[in-house]
Amino acid sequence: MGALGHFLEREGIATTGISLVREHTETVRPPRALWVTFELGRPLGRPDDPPFQRRVAKAALDLLARTDGPLIADYPEHVTEEADFTGWACPIGLAPTQVDSLGAEIDRLATWHDRAVAARGRTTVGVSGLDMPSAGALVDGALAGNLPPAQPLKEAVDDLKAYYLEAAAAFPDAGTDRMRKEWFWSETRLGEVLLALQPKLAASDDPQHKILGNLTLIPAVERHRLAKR
Amino acid sequence: MVKRLDDLPEVEANHLRRVECPTYDDTPLLGGKPLAERRVAIISTAGLHRRGDRPFRPGDGSYRVISAETSARDLVMSHISVNFDRTGFQQDSNVVFPIDRLRELVADGAVGSMASVHYSFMGAFPPDAAKPHAQHLAGLLKADKVDAALLVPV
Repeated sequence: MGALGHFLEREGIATTGISLVREHTETVRPPRALWVTFELGRPLGRPDDPPFQRRVAKAALDLLARTDGPLIADYPEHVTEEADFTGWACPIGLAPTQVDSLGAEIDRLATWHDRAVAARGRTTVGVSGLDMPSAGALVDGALAGNLPPAQPLKEAVDDLKAYYLEAAAAFPDAGTDRMRKEWFWSETRLGEVLLALQPKLAASDDPQHKILGNLTLIPAVERHRLAKR
Repeated sequence: MVKRLDDLPEVEANHLRRVECPTYDDTPLLGGKPLAERRVAIISTAGLHRRGDRPFRPGDGSYRVISAETSARDLVMSHISVNFDRTGFQQDSNVVFPIDRLRELVADGAVGSMASVHYSFMGAFPPDAAKPHAQHLAGLLKADKVDAALLVPV
């Protein structure tokens, strides 16, 4: 991100930006940065809170007036994490069974995903161009040994993750984002399939499969689950 | 709340410490007009694009074009990293791509005007891969009379 500040400012476009990782910004030294303490993935802080987001955007834009950079200004507002209730369990009967399949799980979530789309007016599914049953079949096939090229597999997996987490947000007692991610990785068949797929990708001779298996399939904070398998 | 890397869970902090950051001998700094007279573009590094546009790939230093009229319904994210939250974007695209906030700031008179086109890269690109694209982008921004960019990471 900071590198773009250097490139564009040198080309005549004044830049200001948001910094999520202060240490990175301290190293890159872009012209102007507003350091925020928000969760990675949420540079404006709070979803569905326009006044909060507007204050962050304005604070970053106000730095354009300064020419005493490279500068990092600390944003004074923080986001308090949602309360996390232990013992939350998925309120919908979605727990996979021995005879269950990934396709059946995807099918059971469809109603909830429809509700999520109706409530939010949008979905972020749609990178792969596949419908969800087809994306699931691609992932199932990969686990069975038919590894497709890494890029379509990655796109299918990302679409499925978005589909699951969007659907879960429409559950009657949806819990917090953190709880739903825990649900995804500990209770869904898709989470199980991805954890089982990781070593196959990492062992592939294809360097793109290795990148997917080692870096871009399982989040760093969830990789401990691999060791337990 | 993310504070410094030392405050994060170790596995997450170690991941971020391994990110290679470019260094520069000096930092260019342009003066310019007051914010209320500037034309501002948003440049995201969240790997955003319209549904149907080319998804981002590992090592991709290019950008995607997001016109100001693009509906949030058409925005998807194909960033290759899995080490940041996506549920915020799923809930509200403005938490990543604050185009409605910029529009409001223009309406309030705080910002002069909004670019007709905005852009997204995918962060963690190799700087050398992005540099020629960024230089080309600067030309496009100037053609749209843009004189300031709000850089938004993810």
